Formats: sequence, structure tokens, C-alpha cells
Amino acid sequence: MFIPESARSLSITASALILVLIVTGCAESTRDGGDGGERNETQPLVFAGAGDPRTVDPVLTSDGETFRVTRQIYDTLLAHEPGGTEIIGGLAESWEQSDDGTEWTFHLRDGVKFHDGEDFDAAAVCANFDRWYNFTGNYQNSNQTYYWQNIFGGFAENEDEDTPDPNFESCSTPDDLTAVIEVKEPSANYPGAFSLASFGIMSPKVIDQVAQEEVTGDPGSPVLPSYTQEAGTVAGTGPYRLVDWDRDAQEVVLERFDDHWGENAKVKTLIIKTISEEAARKQALEAGDIHGYDLVGPADVEPLKDAGFQVPVRDVFNILYLAYNQEAGEELGDEKVRRAIAHAVDRQRIVDTILPEGGRVATQFIPETVEGWSPDVTTYDHDPDKAEALLQEAGQSDLEIDMCFPTEVTRPYMPAPQDIFDIIKADLESVGITVTADSMPWGDYIPHTDSGGCSLYLLGWTGDFNEAYNFLGTWFDGYDSAWGFRDEELFERMREVSTTPDADERTALYQEVNQEIMDYLPGLPISHSPPSIAFAPDVTPPAVSPLTQENFAEASFS
Amino acid sequence: MLRFIVRRTLQLIPTLFGLSVLLFFWLRRLPGGPEYALLGEDASPEQRAALRRALGLDDPLAVQYWRFLTRLAEGDLGTSLQTGRPVLDEFALRFPATAELAVAAMVIAVGIGIPLGYLAARRRGGLLDSAVVGGSLIGICTPVFFLAFVLKVVFAEHLGWFPSAFRQTPGLSATRVTGFFVLDGLMTREWDAAWDAILHLALPGLALSSIPLAVVVRMTRASVLEVLGEDYVRTAEAKGLHRHVVRTRHVLRNAMLPVMTAIGLQTGALFAGAVLTESVFAFGGIGSFVYASTQTRDYPALLGFILIIAAMYVLINLLVDISYSLLDPRVRVS
Repeated sequence: MFIPESARSLSITASALILVLIVTGCAESTRDGGDGGERNETQPLVFAGAGDPRTVDPVLTSDGETFRVTRQIYDTLLAHEPGGTEIIGGLAESWEQSDDGTEWTFHLRDGVKFHDGEDFDAAAVCANFDRWYNFTGNYQNSNQTYYWQNIFGGFAENEDEDTPDPNFESCSTPDDLTAVIEVKEPSANYPGAFSLASFGIMSPKVIDQVAQEEVTGDPGSPVLPSYTQEAGTVAGTGPYRLVDWDRDAQEVVLERFDDHWGENAKVKTLIIKTISEEAARKQALEAGDIHGYDLVGPADVEPLKDAGFQVPVRDVFNILYLAYNQEAGEELGDEKVRRAIAHAVDRQRIVDTILPEGGRVATQFIPETVEGWSPDVTTYDHDPDKAEALLQEAGQSDLEIDMCFPTEVTRPYMPAPQDIFDIIKADLESVGITVTADSMPWGDYIPHTDSGGCSLYLLGWTGDFNEAYNFLGTWFDGYDSAWGFRDEELFERMREVSTTPDADERTALYQEVNQEIMDYLPGLPISHSPPSIAFAPDVTPPAVSPLTQENFAEASFS
Repeated sequence: MLRFIVRRTLQLIPTLFGLSVLLFFWLRRLPGGPEYALLGEDASPEQRAALRRALGLDDPLAVQYWRFLTRLAEGDLGTSLQTGRPVLDEFALRFPATAELAVAAMVIAVGIGIPLGYLAARRRGGLLDSAVVGGSLIGICTPVFFLAFVLKVVFAEHLGWFPSAFRQTPGLSATRVTGFFVLDGLMTREWDAAWDAILHLALPGLALSSIPLAVVVRMTRASVLEVLGEDYVRTAEAKGLHRHVVRTRHVLRNAMLPVMTAIGLQTGALFAGAVLTESVFAFGGIGSFVYASTQTRDYPALLGFILIIAAMYVLINLLVDISYSLLDPRVRVS
């Protein structure tokens, strides 16, 4: 037998290489081991999210993947109870508001240290607020300072006519441990806003160091300042400090901050990786390459549990709704048609067959856990006969209507949009409504629905903090082409309630507004869906948060 | 030869210019814009309008294109809207992952493919030949992502021999020099890191190599068979030349021409195939970034990445042509 030298040596080398790979791969495969306490010190806890963080300065983004990282590094003035939505003290031990709701006084925690050794005090709080308020140039871009503009309006000197007027007035320091923040008008956004990850408190020394850094670049090409893009530049007061951001390996390495004011983190090293594909995240957990991941596909929940993984259920804090656009579909201007559709859709079936465990049918546009939820709203049971009767009364027994749904996307409130659409379409057709399907990718979907391009469409929202306005205000505080209706009375009520300083009074008003909305029925609230998160069996997970604000300092190896 | 290379390189300019015009205007015709992806569901129309203005998207398209060109003349491809970092930096960051994967796949494909193809041709009709022909057919027909998935389930999840994801073990702090992890590990003498990177390359590299391997095997086999039947081979053998000389200098060298072309084309295609492999193994190269960019309508990133990839494709073809002319003097003459 003859084999040419070159070919023979090549194939021998190749087979040898593969053999070596296999054998040593086997030897290298050392997973876990040791007891929990020891592992906490020696082994990093690896958690995977779906996207890279964008910046290490949280005020410059609105992105949840970034907040997952920055929440471990920075504390906010107020926080949420572990695993819940109730607002509790954070860097402020206690707080109070003036009667007119324009002055917020925060009594700060004593003995808090920043990662860079600086002391935390009232001056540090004001340094942060003053910095945000005095942003200029490209920092005023709504993409850079989205939450600031949403919550506190504009800046000391607005450079764009579309930037809202500032609602922030001043920050003062009556003493070292008291910070007073004044706003021009009361708003339902406060105090919830002080718990937003965007407003994490940064060391004043860092603020001085980065003061000269600008968002540079031309129009169309803003470049984030370099300090926001690397480890070692920022310091907060959180349980972890940032030690490495390895973009090549798509990982952020956080190390326990031993001088944290609260209980120290249990695991010494926390690594947040990026795995954009849902299936790849699941397999990485199954293969033991990571210890947990977020955004578990609903279909994976049961198989993961069966295989011994932990899939703790987050409480619901979102809403999926079927929007009726009364300008795109004129028939929807008729209240009877709106009610008929509500009676036709079997929402329980959507919850039972598509949502993960813990999902619920929605009776109104806010989840039950939000202050202002009303037990007395008009409800619309699944009743096809009633739907048919209503359509007949409205003279619409041969109604034809278009309905949009997005493709290639899952949102926390909307797993499997196509499947949800299919159920609704079948339900509507069973009462004699002909549905024309209009599907499009997410990037096209939002502009299309926003501009009133669909009569019926699926959309939803996840809340930022426990305040009904954070939900209702998003849609109903004025004319919105996405809904295509004008009801000045309702809009006026929304505005009134959003500027009512007293929280109890506001809650009562929200309950009334919720009843009004559900009588008017601008769309059909469908469901609240718990976004899932998964952990390896040998991990004690942190309390899972409806706001997806897990505090990884609570996590440990067991 | 130099003229040939210069001429071919200059051809790049009109090609890329035309491509940039087409891409620029085509991208802008897609519905939606970055203001929707970047600002989420709840932003007000005013906020979206302000963002569009800030990004210069309200200017006439010709003005925007001119801005793009003038920036490009300074070697600036603009900034990714998703990450707020220069497009070139983003590319430089992600390219090594994809390239490393493509090289690994090509090494496997060539290293196994050429000898196997040669052997099959020499023993035409034998057991090995049938196995090679059949196996390569399966290789071509099996979707890369499916193979990737199977390899992962078997070798990563069940056997635990190889890691199932990433380019390195999380938390393995390694020095970065070039961004090519294997190379970096060797250069800095961090053998652990280099070995770790090789282990992480094994499964995705194997998956990605399936199609080029099959193509190389088949091309080599067919080409060797053809050359074996040529008169000059018979003449050379008749002259009493040593079989070894005939086989390497006459047969293999001549048979390599079409194989080189196939390798060149496959290398280009590898970058496309890498997209899926990258996502299955969470490898994080250019593929997943381009995909994310289409989702967010990240115009500068899309335009920049596609132009660079196109330029590379053209350059790879140029390299193939050059190697062609080195192997076969006739190409140079014509």
C-alpha cells in the first residue's frame, strides 16, 4: 500500500491532533467540586445575559443588560425590597416629601464608602444630580440620557427645542447626611425615580476625573466617552466593584467590595457573560459552563426543572395587551365592537397554553402588585355568544379587520407572539370577524404600530417601578397615534392624577381612572407574564425580582 | 506580476464605492429606524424626533451620504449606534473571533480534505473511496447549525469533553495582544490560555469545517482523477520517473489548481457560515453583531461591517488568483 509522504504525514498529524484534543479535553474537564463556602471564595459565579452592557455609567443608557451589571456596582438613593416592588431605603435610610410634592429630603446612611475609598455623603449625592442636570452637547441626546429626560425633564440649558423643560430645580445639603432635591412640579414619577438604576450614585472623585470627557463625534455618530467603556475608571458603593471588562471574551468581571455598607457579597467573583441566543444560554447552563441565565424561553421552563435546574418564578410586573387603534380601524370607534372583541378572546387559554407558570389574565392595564390596581373594574369574560350579539347590535356581523404581530422577537411580556396571534385570530373568527394577518420584524413593528398602521396589534410593557403612572401614563395621558382616540376627559384625569403629590390620594384616583379606562376599553389587557430566570442546582439564587433587579450579592454556591 | 496585483487592487475602489452607494440607500429604505430600537416601547414621538435629529437622520440622504464619504476618506467608518463606539473598533474587536474560527475550520478542512481526497482518487472504487464520496455528500447536505448542535450535545453536554460555549473559560484572565486567543496565548507564553482557546475552538471549528471539508475532499478527488488520466502523467511514468516525483510534482501540483479556487471561495463562504456557528457556541464574532445591528437599524455598523467584509472577500479572491498564478505560469501569461 502506498500513501504519498505529504498526504500521509498530513493525515497522521490531523488524526493525532484530534486524538490529543479529545484525550486532553477529557482530562481538562474538571467541573465544580469542593463545598459551597470554599467555592464561594475560589470559583467565579458565571451568569449569562442576552446582550453586552453598553456603558459603565448607567445614566447614559436605558438598557436592562447594562443595568444588570451597574446595579451590582452602584447603589441608588432608594431601592426595592428583595423580591418585591415595595420601595425601601437604599443609600438613604429614610426620606420624606413636602406637602406639595416638590421637595424630597433624603436622610443618608452613615459610614458608606465608595470603591475608591471616598466617603459617601450629601455632597456626593448633589454632585451626581448637578452633573446630570448640567449635561451639555451630545449628552443631551435622548439616546444618551433617556431616563433623566423622562423623569427630570431637560437640562440647565437645553440645546434642542424638543428637549422637555427641566423639572429638576436643585440639590442642596443642609448637613453632611441630608440631601434635599427640589423639583418644579410634583410628579407621580417620584419617589420611584430615585430607585432607577440609571441614577446610581457615583463617587464625586470619579465625577471630577471624568468632568472633561465628552460624548464626541458628529451628528449621526456620537462616541461615548472612553471612561464609560473600561474597567477601573468608575466607583460606586455597591457590593461589587468592576475589575475587568473583557470585550473580546464578552465578559464583565466583578469582585466583592469588602467595605460595602450592607452585608458583603457571598461569592467573591461574579462574571456576567453575554450569550445572545436563547438556546445557547440554555445549553451553556446544561453543560455546566455557566451557573445561571436570564430570559428563559417559556418552553424551556419545565424541561429545565425536570432536569434538576432551578427556575424560580419572578412575580409579574408587566402587561401584554391587544391594542385597538380607532383611527386605523374605524369600526373600533364603536364601543360595542370593542366589547365584542374583548368577549371573543379566550385570554385564559393564552395564559394556560403559552405563558410560563405564574402567568395571569389581566383585568386592567396594570398588574395587581401596583398601587392603584382596582378590584372593581368592568371585566370581560370569554363569551362568544355575547360577542356575536354585540357585533350584530353594532351592525358589524361581517366585520373584517387587520391585526399585526411581530416576528423574530420575544419580549418578557410576550413569549411566542405568533402563537398568541393564532389563538386570538381563531377566537375572533369563531364569532364571525375576518382577520387579516400582518406580521413584521420587531424593528419595523414598533414604528408601524406607533404611527397607527394597524387596527389591532399586540404590545406590552414592563414597569420600571411601582407606580401606576409608569404604566398608564405611557399610553393614556394624551392623544397618541398608537391608539388613535381622543378622550379629553380621560387625558385630563390622567394629568391631574400624575401631579397629585399625595401618594394615598393618587392611589385612590388611579383606581377610579382604571375603572374608567376599562369601561371605555381602548384596548384589551391580555396577560401578565412572569419572566423566567434559571440557575444551576448547586447555586443558592438571589431573591428574584419582578423588576428584574436581582442582587447577586445574595447568591452563593451551596 | 506586480502590475497584475496593482490593477486588481485598484479594481477594489469602484467595486466598494458602488457597493457603498447601493447599501447606503437600500438600508435607509428599510422601514423603521434606530430611534425605535434604541428608545424602546414607551418613548414619546418628540423623543424619537429629537434622537433622529441628533443622529442627523433628518438631513437629505445625499447630505448624509456625503458625510459618510468624507468621514470614510479620513478612515473613519462612524460610530455604532448600539454601543456608542467607533465601527472600526467594533470590527477589530469581533473580527478575530470569526477569523480564528474560520482558520480553524479551514485547517481541519485542508489538513484532512486534501490527503483524503487524494487517497480516494488513488483507490478509486474501493471501500475508502465510497466512504469518502458518501461521507462528503452527507457533509455538504448537513446544515452547519444542526451539526454544531449535535456536536455540542454529544461532546459538550453528555461527554463533557469540550466546553459548549465561549472563546475561553469565563474568568481566565489572559493577556490580549492581537485578539486571536490562540496566538495571544502562544505569544505571551500563557500556554494555559492558548490551550484553553484551542479547546474552545474544537467543536465550532469542526462544525464549521464540515462543508469546506466535503468540498475540498470532492474537488481533490475529482481533480486528481482527472490529472491521473492525463497524457503527461503517463509520459512521465513511461519515462521511468520515480513514482513519488510523478505523484507530488506532476499529479498533486496540477490537481491543486481547482482545489485552491475552491478553498478561496470556501474561505469567503466560511465567514457567512460562521454566523450560525458563532451563535450556537456563543462565540461572539462579527456574525452576531451584524445580526444585532439589523435588529436595531444600526446603519453605521451595518454599512461599515458589510463594506469591510466585502473588501476582504475581494482581497481573498485576489490572493487566490495570485496563488493560482504562482502554481500555474500560464495564468500569468494570459
